[in-house]
Amino acid sequence: MNLPGKMDVEKDKLRQMHCEFNPLSRCDGSVMYSQGATVVIAAVLGPIEVKTQNLSIDGSYLECNYRPKAGLPQVKERIREAAIRDVLELALLAEAHPRSKMSVQVQELEDRGSVDACAVNSACLAMLIGGLPLKCSFAAVHCIINEQGEYLLDPDQSETLHQRASFTFAFDSVEGNLLLVQTKGAFKIAQFNDIECLCRAASAEIFQFYRSQIAKYHGRSEAIADQKEEPSSMET
Amino acid sequence: MFMNSNLFEPGKSKPERNFVQLAVKQNQRFDGRRSNECRDVELAFGEDWGTVAVSLGDTKVLTHVSCDLGAPTTSRPNEGKLQLNVNLGGVAFLDEVQTTHEQRSLTLNSLLERTFRSSRCVDLESLCVAAEQHVWCIRVDINVLNHDGNLYDASTIATLAALMHFRRPDVTFADDELRIYTEKEREFIPLLFLHYPVSVTYCIYKSSNQPIVDPTLLEENAADSVIVLSFNSYQELCTLNAGGTAPTNVRTIMQCARNAANRAKALVDFIRKALSLDEERRLQGSRLIQGLAALIGETPYKLSFSKLMGQQKLELQASLNDKIEVDNKSISKPEVEEIQAMVEPSKPETDTAMDTSSWLPPDEDSQELPMPAEASTSKAGKGKPNHSKSKANKKKLAKRQNHSDSEEEAKQVI
Repeated sequence: MNLPGKMDVEKDKLRQMHCEFNPLSRCDGSVMYSQGATVVIAAVLGPIEVKTQNLSIDGSYLECNYRPKAGLPQVKERIREAAIRDVLELALLAEAHPRSKMSVQVQELEDRGSVDACAVNSACLAMLIGGLPLKCSFAAVHCIINEQGEYLLDPDQSETLHQRASFTFAFDSVEGNLLLVQTKGAFKIAQFNDIECLCRAASAEIFQFYRSQIAKYHGRSEAIADQKEEPSSMET
Repeated sequence: MFMNSNLFEPGKSKPERNFVQLAVKQNQRFDGRRSNECRDVELAFGEDWGTVAVSLGDTKVLTHVSCDLGAPTTSRPNEGKLQLNVNLGGVAFLDEVQTTHEQRSLTLNSLLERTFRSSRCVDLESLCVAAEQHVWCIRVDINVLNHDGNLYDASTIATLAALMHFRRPDVTFADDELRIYTEKEREFIPLLFLHYPVSVTYCIYKSSNQPIVDPTLLEENAADSVIVLSFNSYQELCTLNAGGTAPTNVRTIMQCARNAANRAKALVDFIRKALSLDEERRLQGSRLIQGLAALIGETPYKLSFSKLMGQQKLELQASLNDKIEVDNKSISKPEVEEIQAMVEPSKPETDTAMDTSSWLPPDEDSQELPMPAEASTSKAGKGKPNHSKSKANKKKLAKRQNHSDSEEEAKQVI
């Protein structure tokens, strides 16, 4: 398959991001999010009625599902789902709605590399647009070390075929804390630190994207969104 | 504390039902469409072969076709397999009561099975690599993204488009060894089709005898009965699914069937046109392939029915003698009564209309139901002179036989 790939994007830059808010009509918030050719769709519903077995008196129950394009979810998808849930559990303000359930569903539309990061980002955008309470927003970035030992930020699928190591980091927007670290392959600690810095820098770009898109959606000009110095918790 | 979201589904409550019934009685629809007007269909092709996203108004369906080599069933050792999987969960129904969910996915699955498997639209024998040992198993995953009524049409369009878009790798089998070629070594091969079926859905209400096409979720939930007709591009009936409580006469069903056949033909033409455009883009170079990223925002990569077929209409106006033109016209006509008035005089001119006229005689021939036959005599009378005029060759006769078979099926259901 001939791919558009990342030819026109530098190695230390993210692929172009696009999103569409509320493409779906039957949930509280939904977003179609793309990074390069990778496209995912995320939907949230909540707070809603919870089954008694999942009921918790001091916080809401979080349900998170990831669906692949073809077939039933396998181990790979389950791991991805667990990663999204872990990040969401850290960021969700569960105390706001005890005895209820928040449901987050992510559907993969097209996987062209770094789908883990895309899924996390789309989940964050869906939570923001659905008005579900969050302590902070979050962004995930994927990076690999290729055969030549170069760092490749947000690679396309064609570039991931020969990789030495792959990393996925998620950061929160308030303190810049690490929410998720996923690594695969062999690497040195120095490389890990380098890539963490690279991803942290890239996450700022994603937060900026969130802000401008949500400002645009709510009919505010991007200039106003830019003026906001500190990254607020952005509850919409 | 929280309401069950099943109650949120439009059209389930009594006031909503009454509202829709009243609106239908006055020949009006909530979204301002006419009773025989369909929502616009949009297609977007993915980067991979066999990935198609279809939207029908707010109803959105994603279909992905994949293939795998496997062993054939013992009963059909020289045929490939076609597997259809419907995924209703996920983003479309975040919190749905399990029972209605099951029922919905079962109905949809059975409709798709009948439309695509039982009608044998894909040539499965061509998918055989070595009899009794290796055949291709084609798997179609239908992911419902959003449900706003008429899932049936959206999924059949998506499935057909995905199957037509799909290419499988070439494979050779020699000396007990399978060799699968990559796309670089040998071009991928498209599936072979015997015919192209697409369904059209109608809703019927007790308050009115006017069926409405392409219902929204509100209309579908409030409907007394839902009729799904699958037609192929040769205007042959593949599936008929009629249920519900509204008493329906044969005349209404025939009227639906006639319009559905035209609509199905137009839809298949649309899919073909969209596929050829996608092919063109692929040939022009990789930069133009947007994949499903095209779904986001307003891009020229979405292929919509009104746009493509509208274009075609213009092209055809130069050469007025094509039949699709007539089909389009009949679809875009405001009132069904008018359609009959419009279509019937034009029948002698087009052979598509002759096909439809051949459905009518069985009404007279089969004396099972005297009442509906009486109702349709006026139509049959109109149809008959046509028929006598037509050059009824053997092929046509064979076709007619088919039609009368399906006709009887239809009657039993009624």
